[in-house]
Amino acid sequence: MTKEPVYILGGYQTDFARNWARENKHICAMMREAYEGSVAATDIDPAEINAAFIGNFAGELYCMQGHLGGFFVDLDPRFKGLPTIRFENACASSAVAALSAVAYIQAGIFDLVCLIGVEQMKTVDSAKGGDYLGTAAFFEKECVDIEFPFPKLFGKLGDEYDKRYGLDDAYLARISTINYANARRNPNAQTRTWFMSYEHAATLGKYNTVISGRIKVTDCSQITDGAVCLYMASRRIAERHAARHGLSLDGIPRVLGWGHTTAPIEFATKVADSANDRYVLPITRKAITDAYQRAGIRDCWDLDVIETHDCFTTSQYMAIDHFGLTEPGQSWKAIEDGTIEIGGRLPMNPSGGLIGGGHPVGATGARQILDAYKQVTGTAGGYQVAGARKVATLNIGGTATTNVVFVIGV
Amino acid sequence: MNREIKNVAVLGASGTVGSLIGGLLAQYGLKVAFISRSTERARRGLERAIAQARSEVIAKNIACGDYASLFQQAVPEADWIIEATTEDPEIKRQIYERVEVLRRPGAVISSTTSSLPLTLLAEGRDEDFRRHFLSTHFYNPPGRMLACELTGHEDTDPELVRFMGEYLRRELHREVVPVKNAVAFAGNRIAFVLFSRITSLVERYGVELMDYLIGPYTGRLMPPLATLDLVGLDIHRAIIHSLQTHTHDAMHDWLMLPPYLETMIQRGLLGRKRGAGFYKKLESGKYMFFDPDTCDYIPAIQPHVAFVEKAKHFIRMGKYHKAFETILEAEGKEAELVVSVLCTYIVYAYSLIGEVTPAEHGIAGIDTVMSAGFNWAPPSVVLEMLGGPASVLRRCDAKGLPIPSCQESPKKTPLQILEAAKYFVAK
Repeated sequence: MTKEPVYILGGYQTDFARNWARENKHICAMMREAYEGSVAATDIDPAEINAAFIGNFAGELYCMQGHLGGFFVDLDPRFKGLPTIRFENACASSAVAALSAVAYIQAGIFDLVCLIGVEQMKTVDSAKGGDYLGTAAFFEKECVDIEFPFPKLFGKLGDEYDKRYGLDDAYLARISTINYANARRNPNAQTRTWFMSYEHAATLGKYNTVISGRIKVTDCSQITDGAVCLYMASRRIAERHAARHGLSLDGIPRVLGWGHTTAPIEFATKVADSANDRYVLPITRKAITDAYQRAGIRDCWDLDVIETHDCFTTSQYMAIDHFGLTEPGQSWKAIEDGTIEIGGRLPMNPSGGLIGGGHPVGATGARQILDAYKQVTGTAGGYQVAGARKVATLNIGGTATTNVVFVIGV
Repeated sequence: MNREIKNVAVLGASGTVGSLIGGLLAQYGLKVAFISRSTERARRGLERAIAQARSEVIAKNIACGDYASLFQQAVPEADWIIEATTEDPEIKRQIYERVEVLRRPGAVISSTTSSLPLTLLAEGRDEDFRRHFLSTHFYNPPGRMLACELTGHEDTDPELVRFMGEYLRRELHREVVPVKNAVAFAGNRIAFVLFSRITSLVERYGVELMDYLIGPYTGRLMPPLATLDLVGLDIHRAIIHSLQTHTHDAMHDWLMLPPYLETMIQRGLLGRKRGAGFYKKLESGKYMFFDPDTCDYIPAIQPHVAFVEKAKHFIRMGKYHKAFETILEAEGKEAELVVSVLCTYIVYAYSLIGEVTPAEHGIAGIDTVMSAGFNWAPPSVVLEMLGGPASVLRRCDAKGLPIPSCQESPKKTPLQILEAAKYFVAK
């Protein structure tokens, strides 16, 4: 990038295994814990925060609460009067908030942005939750009278791969197994104590039923409550932060590149548009290649880790070839030869991703950025990929309608 | 230690504890023999294990059978024999005699009991049995509660205890708490003294009000008397009796079974397993509560105490310190009661460092077992929430409680407090 770099100073993730409705807590409690944890984890000076960007998909539906910026200024008396913005781009809400933070910082408007991604989803039953999630698709056309519209739509993504290239569902089961295994290493992962095995993921049964089409329970990320708070900063603030903590500026992660694209909202249109393309979702591919270009990297092999958006196993299957780990349609190769596992040539989702780690939709983009920060600063603990210096994230909204990619590195 | 664990025999696998521990091991790929008084009972344990895993595929790792057949076959093959039979020392002794004949030398044998002295259970066994006999006290259900207390007795090979600690931690992802060989270990010792105190206070305050005052907002996922209904009042009595017999400490006089509790047990009001205990759920979904005065059930009074409601509100907003400031600033006998019970929890927990857990571990082991075993906020965090050692010491003095050994307790970091925030529930 030719513009001034934007730095990431770290942050905090709540435990995604928690059920905040069972704890009878308001969504603002989740924001507060994420914020207080982030201050403790980063030792930033709250007085230096210029603005807060909140990524949230559907607080109005799940919690009967919108306008979350108003809760931010309650977190510290010094925040009263600060500008706040709430961003909604479905499951990519907090990635879009992060993109906006980049823009504001590079424009010289803000020096330190507090970014919060937050979603409380366990307030309603799964049928109602499925309806709410459906608002991220073309509701009237794709979701009416369908109990779980998104599993159906992402099942169709698998069907499209099957039609064009062939798809063995055994590879989807393998994706699920890898994500659950990685989640066991992550103390904030939703499924870290859950049982999973390849055989379970590959077998239909009482506890692994078909949700829709080729999508079984184990192919899905789960309903999750969670929040992430992190800090994005200008060089000036990053230098001060580095000096205060005895760090070198080079050791502070920064946004090396980004990509941001939007595809037509209806899934059938996306697929029809790509009929003559090698990629099933070329607009997602474009976000990835844009990010590579801005980051000045040739291809995925310049990366050390990818944190991708595996809302379903089919979306990770798509991400593998779209990131360029394999030729289009050959994602199975990177699964079969262990490329995407921790210890493989290019690990994907060492955190457990969305399937293992959890998917509080408005928090996922921020969670991916925070995990990228942890990887490149060597602070990812049990799920650290040794020597990681460059990490890419892919956060999608809807059926890959919104696509946001970051390359973060030191 | 060059030791591998591949085959496990669970004795008493029809019960909740045995079946769920066995199921957990099967989830990790171990071959597990579920042994019970009948194959049919063992199969019931298998069903429970499958429900815990939420997967039928673990069944391929589990064989079900009885003491006449599978026991004979599985015990000689077992690398680890887990005894989870009924809490009766005579029954356990008879089973150990049979195990002793069949087990191969070097095989690990562990008991899941915490209320019977390990030393007593090892009496009469041969040397190899005694060297390989220890306690692995899992918490229930082990699929969700990760704590596992671990100890040997006088003759247990210390290297085996170390190996099992590593194995439980690394392979089975347990939060291993090394404990001293003392009855009830750490978790049950602390919790049941608290339960005993609360059951005696029920005579004055009633069931509903006690669970309201010492409710989830004070740092527990479930109110104490509701927890006892889940545990079973017969089990509660057995643990209290065991503690009365085998422990001697400053809180010993608080160990008691009020007459109304004996009446409940006599009438079979044992808790959830019998459909009624302290709570009785009506068809409408509403609850009635046991009245210790009349020994009958009375309708809910739905208590409303101002400081409790205010504290819950702060917790709902994520303002945990404000919630506890509210409790500390409140006046009246209800507020005194809440502070007294919480102080007792802290005082007692700290007083047991060195007696139930190694002194060099400080409060860490006790913190782990109370959170990962009971879903209670760790004592060190409650100490912090109540204003730290000085504040707690002042309040203990006022109530004639013994001085806790928490003066040296390191201050909890904000991140440690946040880790425990999930135990402060706005209910």
